[in-house]
Amino acid sequence: MHRSIAIVGAGPAGMAAAIEAVRRRCRVTLIDEAERPGGQIYRQAHPALAGEEHAERAELARKHALIERFERVAGQLDYRAGATAYAAFGNGELHISERGRTEVLRPDATILATGVRELAVPFPGWTLPGVMFAGGAQAILKSQKVLPGARAVVAGCGPLPLVVAAQLLRAGGEVAALALLRPLTGMLAHPMSLWHGREIVRDGFRYAATVRRAGVPRLTGYVAVRAIGTECLEAAVLARVDAAGRVVPGSEREIPCDLLAVNYGFVANSELAAMAGARMRRDPVIGGWIPEVDAWGRTSIPGLFTAGDGAELRGALVAEADGTVVGAAAASPDGAAEASPGSELASAIAQRARHLEFQQVVRSTLRLPMELWRLVTDDTIVCRCESVRFGEIKDALANGHRSLNAVKRNVRSGMGWCGGRTCLHAIASLVELSTGSAPTEMMTPRPMARPVSFAALARRSPT
Amino acid sequence: MPSDFTFSFEGKPVSAREGQSVAAALIAAGERCLRIDEAGSPKGAVCGIGACWECRCSIDGVPDTRACMTPARAGMIVRRQRGLDPCIDQ
Repeated sequence: MHRSIAIVGAGPAGMAAAIEAVRRRCRVTLIDEAERPGGQIYRQAHPALAGEEHAERAELARKHALIERFERVAGQLDYRAGATAYAAFGNGELHISERGRTEVLRPDATILATGVRELAVPFPGWTLPGVMFAGGAQAILKSQKVLPGARAVVAGCGPLPLVVAAQLLRAGGEVAALALLRPLTGMLAHPMSLWHGREIVRDGFRYAATVRRAGVPRLTGYVAVRAIGTECLEAAVLARVDAAGRVVPGSEREIPCDLLAVNYGFVANSELAAMAGARMRRDPVIGGWIPEVDAWGRTSIPGLFTAGDGAELRGALVAEADGTVVGAAAASPDGAAEASPGSELASAIAQRARHLEFQQVVRSTLRLPMELWRLVTDDTIVCRCESVRFGEIKDALANGHRSLNAVKRNVRSGMGWCGGRTCLHAIASLVELSTGSAPTEMMTPRPMARPVSFAALARRSPT
Repeated sequence: MPSDFTFSFEGKPVSAREGQSVAAALIAAGERCLRIDEAGSPKGAVCGIGACWECRCSIDGVPDTRACMTPARAGMIVRRQRGLDPCIDQ
């Protein structure tokens, strides 16, 4: 009997899980929205655009090694590029849409390797064209070979703003300022953990060198408080914040730019797990709402696994090792595998633990002080799709609508095209800021996790 | 930058390279405002990965198509949506 396994997401975790499950003779279906494997971190440009890469050589070597391993088994699995999983249910059904058709899969096990998206902290003016997530600007650069702005301000916290600033410079862009909530040098207080992450730390120093050599002004302890412009972004306003995250009056600096690239960390794409009924928990530093999983990636729903950043924010190297472990577990009928000493599985488990040591240190750079959410003024749009301002959310809260579902029903926040993915975490944090207690339940994710046309629903492939 | 073909945005020709998304080609051409939302505010590309739906355009008569996820093709007709107007008149 060959077990059938569906994997959602072809990033590091999904690719590694697919490789392992094929090796264990499972029938694997891999569903991914992109045309080529890689996910966000190992995103591949169209072959016609291949060439110039602005990432560090070591990072590229890790990317190409995994993609090569994947390509060797790709012929032995049912790889659905350009397909979307839009619903998952507790009975094991996975609903996908693909090129104008839909299909229901009923695999023996499903692995959600859906990764993360960027965490949005709204601020006045952030809806202007030219204000982007830093990873979004990087995606345009990395896979499209287009400079997303001629003169950029890069801001936020954690390692990504530094990486994006360096890559913009290497692509010939100008970076007018790099503003970080707190210095990355805080990581140096944990030398053992840095040793565990030495491959990545080395890349980090090289990116930092690029930024230093270009003479980019580095504003540490500064955040983007406002974006200015009429039709498009014309300037970013940065200001210093104190240790509690409060803006220091009089510290504002206005910097003309046509790109403001901001990243404050990431939230898990956990909607499908929640939709299927998996028990969830919330931890803002490791991905907002994430499913409760054990060491084999098992959720509370039998047959439903998660792997990689979608299970918990831990970075690409953990995701790759985790994919191998979870792929092995899902391949076995009891959902756990035998890791004999010296086996590849035992080595993946050890790798995962080693890289996680390093990720603990990275997390220390991603913690957002609650006061930082005061960047969101009453007039600031929080839900971009439905143009809902914070003032409207506060009114709903004052009227006793305390849960995210109640707020959503009252002001439509989270009911637009993105399905609440962009604003969910911001609204949860703003509810916590306003009421003093964190919401316990996420907005109930229902089908469709992505918009699907009626025509595609009508064209259902037989299964 | 070498261009392989052109498509039309709001009636103007825009150069693109094979493999580029509509959003990337528009950004390269200096077109930042890809949509006017229901509240009348200009919107552009934000997440770059198909998650936020802010860059949706009318592409070859199909409204609400994500420009960042759609490969540009020669002769495509791309329109800037205004509010709820789906721009289906070509």
